[in-house]
Amino acid sequence: MIRRLLRSREAILLLVLIALFAVLAVKVEGFFDAYNLLERTRYWVAPGLLAAAMTFVIATGGIDLSVASVLALCGIVMGMRRRDAGWPMPAAAGAALAAGLAAGAANGAVISRIQVPPLVVTLATMSLFRGAAMGLSQAKAIGDFPPGFLWLGQGSLCKVPGTGANPADLPVPLVILLAVYALAWALMHRSWVGRFTELIGENETAARFAAIDVRRLKFALYASVGLLCGFAALLHTAIYATAKADTAAGMELEAITCVVVGGTRISGGHASIVGTLLGLAILGILRFGLEMAGVSSQNIIILVGIVLVATAIINERLGRSAVR
Amino acid sequence: MRRWGMAALAVLLMAGCGPAEKKDDGAKPVDTGSAATGKKLTVGLMPKLTGISFFNATDKGGKEAGEALGIDYVYDGPAAGTDTIEKQSQLVGTWMARKFDAIAIAPNDPEAIAPALTKARSRGVKVVAWDADAKKEARDFFVTQCTPESIAKSLMDVMAEAIGPEGSYIIITGTLTASNQNIWMAEMEKYRQAKYPKMKNLSPTPISPGEDKAKATQMAADALKTYPGVKGIFAITSVALPGAAEALRKSGTGGKVFLTGLATPSDMREYVKDGTVKKFVLWSPVDLGYLAVSAAAALAKGELKPGATEFKAGRIGTVKVVGDQIILGDPLVFDKDNIDKFDF
Repeated sequence: MIRRLLRSREAILLLVLIALFAVLAVKVEGFFDAYNLLERTRYWVAPGLLAAAMTFVIATGGIDLSVASVLALCGIVMGMRRRDAGWPMPAAAGAALAAGLAAGAANGAVISRIQVPPLVVTLATMSLFRGAAMGLSQAKAIGDFPPGFLWLGQGSLCKVPGTGANPADLPVPLVILLAVYALAWALMHRSWVGRFTELIGENETAARFAAIDVRRLKFALYASVGLLCGFAALLHTAIYATAKADTAAGMELEAITCVVVGGTRISGGHASIVGTLLGLAILGILRFGLEMAGVSSQNIIILVGIVLVATAIINERLGRSAVR
Repeated sequence: MRRWGMAALAVLLMAGCGPAEKKDDGAKPVDTGSAATGKKLTVGLMPKLTGISFFNATDKGGKEAGEALGIDYVYDGPAAGTDTIEKQSQLVGTWMARKFDAIAIAPNDPEAIAPALTKARSRGVKVVAWDADAKKEARDFFVTQCTPESIAKSLMDVMAEAIGPEGSYIIITGTLTASNQNIWMAEMEKYRQAKYPKMKNLSPTPISPGEDKAKATQMAADALKTYPGVKGIFAITSVALPGAAEALRKSGTGGKVFLTGLATPSDMREYVKDGTVKKFVLWSPVDLGYLAVSAAAALAKGELKPGATEFKAGRIGTVKVVGDQIILGDPLVFDKDNIDKFDF
């Protein structure tokens, strides 16, 4: 039983996470504090949502480099609908979701209909959507969102019991993030969506012969990813109380990193939602721990890079020795 | 094999923490002090981004103030090329978690930094904004280099003296959202209308290369072609001015077009020496860092309170406090005669 558990990549990642956490808790003063740790998780939410979406994309053997740009564009669309068009907040938020869906559908259409490789398409739309966000907003930040909306990012559901005299808050966006992951897990590992997604990544021809409408599924997949980016834009904008065209720069790479660290095969065919979540937590904890230890931001980038290379090597070895 | 791999990763992770602890021990002996009554203060100075000479100079001043006051001083901020806005918010959260007594920050975005600062303040951290302001509710004081009026006046006077009171000019800024640059441009326009009504700003929307020198060079070169008759160029960030100077030098138009703006002497020395740039304006970033850290520490000690009209800042002396703004003083004008006296 234990041998079998140890064979799963998620178990190993969990052990790494626990080990990392334990080391930091012992060695770094002030790290082990529920309030601070939970506050930090707010900043994991947007990359975490993008990573959940990215897991599905990578499972099909594809990639979506435009996710962070779509997020920025959706934030701008929402801000401008509210500020310039005077829309009420829920309608403006709806516009952001619609913009995300449209952007994702555009990606999906080119990828599935015209059969251009996803890397090429989304590399192009990464610039295109970012440029659109810049142009629409004239590169100016949009603020002044209503408190009810900001609650989505900055609010707390309740105090966490048992966290001492200075009780920790349970961040609203963290709860939303975990709910999305539960949904993603069910879709990926307990429904036909995940089975078909992995099959496309494993062998697209075989998937076609199995009477799967690969084109339609891919189109729907990239469109849904766009929608989730729009949703991430709501939370991201609420967390920073600002919509800005150059926000979330490089977040697409952060999302891909979480997915790959989580053990999803970059060439497709095998995915793990739990792994992605663990990857997100490991990277987040590592960065926070190093910051708490007073390591300068420049050195953190280097150290995180080293850990990622190590993880990639270990993942590669695991992949080779696994019986597939 | 698997366990071997896991062990390797664990070792690597711990190795990753190795240098961290060493730094921790060296830079932050605060844990011993926090329990004692004579608590040693910890003050953090956060620039808009690290690794450029303007902010390196503020670090120098901050360190100096930290030593003079006998406090623990930490300097860190976003590395160039990362998402500076998000990184600043996260770092504020970390500094709050590390129980810093005061944070002095140069925010990249006044609104986006506000939630993080507000949270830190609610946990008892004192906050001073410097270089650029944060939302008023998110900080206690704003340490401003010079009043926007005095910067605008210095810049416009230098320009008018060179190109005459009827010349035309263009402006190169950083990002269009940078709040201090926007205020300066507004003040420049106000002062122009009052004092030099016949001067003309050919770029009502300023050229905005961001905080990127190569881009500033390229956009300045383009601007010389777009506005062939232009007499003067303002480049009002410490990155845009050397960038624009590079463009003038390459095209050999340094003698025809008068370039001035705001930058550090160390970035401008070569262009002043070869005559591409005759005069430019700046306050002392070393003093700015010194004042920001002094004010943050005084705030944490309770020596600086709202309503103060002046503040004694160590070697700088007494500076004016107007409302919730602490003012460093008037800007300096640099030219080839005095530039070697400044080493920042």
